[in-house]
Amino acid sequence: MNLVIAGQTKEYPEGLTVSRLIEAEKVATPQYVSVSLNDEFVKSGDFGSTVLREGDSVEFLYFMGGGG
Amino acid sequence: MSFTNEQLERYSRHIILQEIGARGQSKLLKARVLIIGAGGLGAPAALYLAAAGVGTIGLVDGDAVDLSNLQRQIIHSTRTIGQSKVESARQTLAALNPEVKVLTHQGLLKADNVLELFRDYDFIIDGTDNFPAKFLINDACVLTRKPFSHAGIIRFQGQLLTYVPGEGPCYRCVFENPPPPDAVPTCRQAGVVGAMGGVIGSLQAMEAIKYLVGVGRLLTGFLLTYDALAMEFRKIKLPRRKNCAVCGPEPTITEPFDHEPPAACEL
Amino acid sequence: MPDFIIDATVDITDVVCPVTFVKAKVALEELEPGRVLAIRLNDGEPVQNVPRSLKDEGHQVLKLAANGDGTYDLLVRKGAD
Repeated sequence: MNLVIAGQTKEYPEGLTVSRLIEAEKVATPQYVSVSLNDEFVKSGDFGSTVLREGDSVEFLYFMGGGG
Repeated sequence: MSFTNEQLERYSRHIILQEIGARGQSKLLKARVLIIGAGGLGAPAALYLAAAGVGTIGLVDGDAVDLSNLQRQIIHSTRTIGQSKVESARQTLAALNPEVKVLTHQGLLKADNVLELFRDYDFIIDGTDNFPAKFLINDACVLTRKPFSHAGIIRFQGQLLTYVPGEGPCYRCVFENPPPPDAVPTCRQAGVVGAMGGVIGSLQAMEAIKYLVGVGRLLTGFLLTYDALAMEFRKIKLPRRKNCAVCGPEPTITEPFDHEPPAACEL
Repeated sequence: MPDFIIDATVDITDVVCPVTFVKAKVALEELEPGRVLAIRLNDGEPVQNVPRSLKDEGHQVLKLAANGDGTYDLLVRKGAD
């Protein structure tokens, strides 16, 4: 199935969960990433049970604490 | 709305703009902006806002100028090493534009002073370098209905969002709670290109100017990310979090509070 | 210049380009559309540029008259916002 990850279309196998996608995308800080799926935030407790579907759009949002 | 000839000259490039004009410039002259952190982000933001004639600029910072700051904190100079950052910044702003009133608050932003500090300002700029402060600023702005610009920078990356009460998600919608101390690298550990503060801090100043003048579209409901190595800007749409602890329909945060202080890691 | 009712006046002989135009523009911003501003300006660069710049901004130049002392009076009707 095709997913849109951070604006780029990518091919992934059916049945992929948000947790598996985080692994596959090699997210640097997997415990602290926020995920929006089709313009809705996914609760971090639901990453393992949220199954992605054809055409889903996923964004990863990362903490960035610097500025001083 | 009367300008001296000197003001007409100083702000001529603004006044000529149809979107700003005399009306917009006089709004800027009456405006009050508070900048938290006179560092990598706060330095360029403060400089552009003072140059723009923002009437009152408040600065909050508890640190003194250090040699390692000067790679990016362009409001300070070699001459002011050892001085408090707010005083060093005040001198630079006064030299740039003596018309601007600079109010300095030497010290850290805390739950017990945040409401008092924010009260008289129209717009807040988050130029801090730690998560407890970023969450505190967000909560205080949501609770007191103040618009603010949030930003973060690290290495070759930066990001920012604008919060306006009632017009989109807050910072806590995106990131529910601060990460544990040292779970996410800071600039001190990971480094940052000085010009990144210039890019992102200037965008924060631009958001403040647009808000104060009342023109254009703000970065509400979006996170703008900048990857300097890839030379890529992305504007990512941000939803509101349905049960956001501070801006949701049934908030559990009803007054500002201090999060665990950042780890005192020195490299 | 009896043919127009002048609503406001501004003297821009005390400033130089580009503040000449800016000062005239600010004076116009304070008026309602349709009102007439009389601008006193110097010969040379101001008289060449200010009327044209105001026209470009959508205002109507009504009249330009030399005062014989190196200054001019320019009448401008404010355009729609």
